[in-house]
Amino acid sequence: MDDDFEDLLGGRDGIGQDSSQESLTTAAAGLDFCERGEELLDDGQTPPQSTFDYGGPVGLVVETDLSVAEMGPSGKGKRRNPRSINTTPGSAIDRAGQEITSDCSDTTPSTKPPDSPLGQIEAVFEQIADDMIGHTRQIGISLDVRPRVPPTRSSTVADAITLDRKTRRLGFPGETAEEAWRFTVILRILELMHEALRTGVTISKRDMYYRDPALFGSQTHVDRYVDDIAYTFNVPRSALNVTAAAKGLVVGAFSLCRRDGSVLNAAADREAILIPSLKDVLSVDLSAVKWIVVVEKEASFRSIAASTFWDRLSTEGVLITGKGYPDIATRALLRYLCTPSPRNNFASPPSYALMDYDPDGLAIMSVYRYGSAALAHESAALCVPQLKWLGLRSEHMHLGEEGGTHASQGLLKLTPRDRGKARKMLEREVSGDGGGHGESGEGEMQRALQTMLMLNVKAELQLLDAVPGRLTELLERELCGS
Amino acid sequence: MLSLRIPQDDTNRLTVLSASGSSSIHIYSTRGQITYAEGADNEHQYPLTQTLEGVHPLGCHQICTSLDGRLAASAGFNGELRIWKRSEYGHWSSAGEVVPEEQKAGEHWALAPSENEQYLACTINDGRTNIYDTRTIFAGGAAPKFAQFETQDSFGMSGDISADGSMTASGRQNGSIYIFNNSTARLAHSLAGLIKPVRSVKFNPTCKLLAAAGDARIIALYDTQSGEQIANLVGHGSWVMSLDWNWNGEYLPSGGYGGEAKIWSLARRACMATQTESEKCLWSVRWLPRAASAKYETFVTAGAGGTLAIYRGMGET
Repeated sequence: MDDDFEDLLGGRDGIGQDSSQESLTTAAAGLDFCERGEELLDDGQTPPQSTFDYGGPVGLVVETDLSVAEMGPSGKGKRRNPRSINTTPGSAIDRAGQEITSDCSDTTPSTKPPDSPLGQIEAVFEQIADDMIGHTRQIGISLDVRPRVPPTRSSTVADAITLDRKTRRLGFPGETAEEAWRFTVILRILELMHEALRTGVTISKRDMYYRDPALFGSQTHVDRYVDDIAYTFNVPRSALNVTAAAKGLVVGAFSLCRRDGSVLNAAADREAILIPSLKDVLSVDLSAVKWIVVVEKEASFRSIAASTFWDRLSTEGVLITGKGYPDIATRALLRYLCTPSPRNNFASPPSYALMDYDPDGLAIMSVYRYGSAALAHESAALCVPQLKWLGLRSEHMHLGEEGGTHASQGLLKLTPRDRGKARKMLEREVSGDGGGHGESGEGEMQRALQTMLMLNVKAELQLLDAVPGRLTELLERELCGS
Repeated sequence: MLSLRIPQDDTNRLTVLSASGSSSIHIYSTRGQITYAEGADNEHQYPLTQTLEGVHPLGCHQICTSLDGRLAASAGFNGELRIWKRSEYGHWSSAGEVVPEEQKAGEHWALAPSENEQYLACTINDGRTNIYDTRTIFAGGAAPKFAQFETQDSFGMSGDISADGSMTASGRQNGSIYIFNNSTARLAHSLAGLIKPVRSVKFNPTCKLLAAAGDARIIALYDTQSGEQIANLVGHGSWVMSLDWNWNGEYLPSGGYGGEAKIWSLARRACMATQTESEKCLWSVRWLPRAASAKYETFVTAGAGGTLAIYRGMGET
């Protein structure tokens, strides 16, 4: 044990710019220091501050944004007990200290370029340690706030990113207990990301949350800050080795070739497979695929996959569902399949969306097509603008008449929440797409929303199921006829 | 095209106001002599005389006019209601606006003005019906309600005021139809018979009958004095979206969701003619007031196809 610490205590040689492990260690130990409010520790384990040597922090490229823009976190109505604030960071740092002592054995000094995510995280920690050495009044982290822009239709999504990068600086101890808590949360997340990047293991957001549920409080905080950190570093979330748990399902006539040589055949399991992460995928074989259908709900997905239609035509198509609002993995897979590139042999099978006839269905289709408001900065790599709207459309509403009682039960009226949501979507359509390209695309959404408000009915895909064979007929007509 | 109205002015120069999903209202003119050109595209006959640009940012779904043609009201998807007045030269200009006071106030939906342009009835999407005195609507935005009828149930999809101003009718999504007496401000009748959403209600010119139709695909005729249902007109293949009466109450044009326009004869209680231009929904059907010199009657349909189609009516009168 002591040998490891001699590296720390030693001079410049032991600690170099290129040893990320050491700098994290010292940074963590430094935090430990400040937390207890003592200049020196007598237990002999941690060295006095004066011997800290980062190999010249001044010489390092500091990536963090030092602009002290806005202070003052917006009140979230969640006040944490100050006592708990003091203990949890301490416990986090303690744990960090323990982890580092156990990890010290496998220090692998390697050069990391300063602008890789790993380098950026380390730069943040180093900056914090610098602040502490320099005895500044308080240490802090600068975080860029994601702009809540509605997904733009224009081809230059980059404009949305570069304009208005609002930075918020969270200080520790900060002005309120809540700010201190936020700082701690971000620091903990950065630490977990650093570990994930260093070991090369992908960590899921759920996993992150369960590492320290007492600190994080709820999953949404983890989600939000992970995305904010990814935005600040200007990298997609996957570059930080953080994923969401797989949600979507896919089945169909294609196979994925992975980096380790294995082949994943999506038609192998009739029950459909979970959408795999695209990190290890080299290429996809789409030679047999003539169409792709994206289904909103899992229930509809299952019923199509079990129908005679699928028995007959499973060898020429692909069915995907995101189980509601799709996650990044589902959107990425759809884009991967639909967009011609060397990886998929320049195939571009037509893609169709099968949604419920309600404002949520249209919103989900819009997310597939253009991206989501929350992750607008990642939209360019995830959108599929050529997705066509197969159903349900307003023309299908008359199907409520033919089916008899079952079908007429499938038509419901819009609730006030639905109407409000449709109105908000209409406002975004009208205001956001003044100069967008593709008239037919936007006008279609606007008309669909207005029609829905006029008719004041909504219908689920199960409406088609009420009349036997109706769904099959619809699919066949659209997919095979054209 | 979502809604149509044809007012008639005293110089017999007809105009057609049309509202659509775009934010502007278009006003076309039909010249006095309604000629019987063969083709359906008589565009040169109906020039666009005025456009009220961008008046409803999210689109306009209803527009109505008073019978004397001097007042019009339009409702937009954002819940706002705007009033328009026509000058002697035929130019329309804004005369006021009613914006829902708070979020919960609901959207203005179906509109119907009284004949003498003084009152405007309007259903709100949560079940109320408001009557405004149009003289008190200014550009400010709020208008005191002259009367308010509350039936706390279903969305009022359609409304009408009788020509003599005595009654207001409102058709609901749950199929119920209410007739209010304007002078006593009380509910006169609650009509049964249509279980599905009622998309259009219309008093006939003599105010003795009320026609109502909707997703049930039948047109029900009620006696307004007794509240009894006196006839059913059956024959539409899809939801009936719009109804009107002709000038003497003999014929009813109706437009359906499947794109068919039908003319019904009251005397025979049957459908006289059906025209289907396309499969696209017909949102609104209006009979053009008949000029004295015209040989034929005409009616106009507006639909999801985005065009106004003008049909020549019966040869017999």
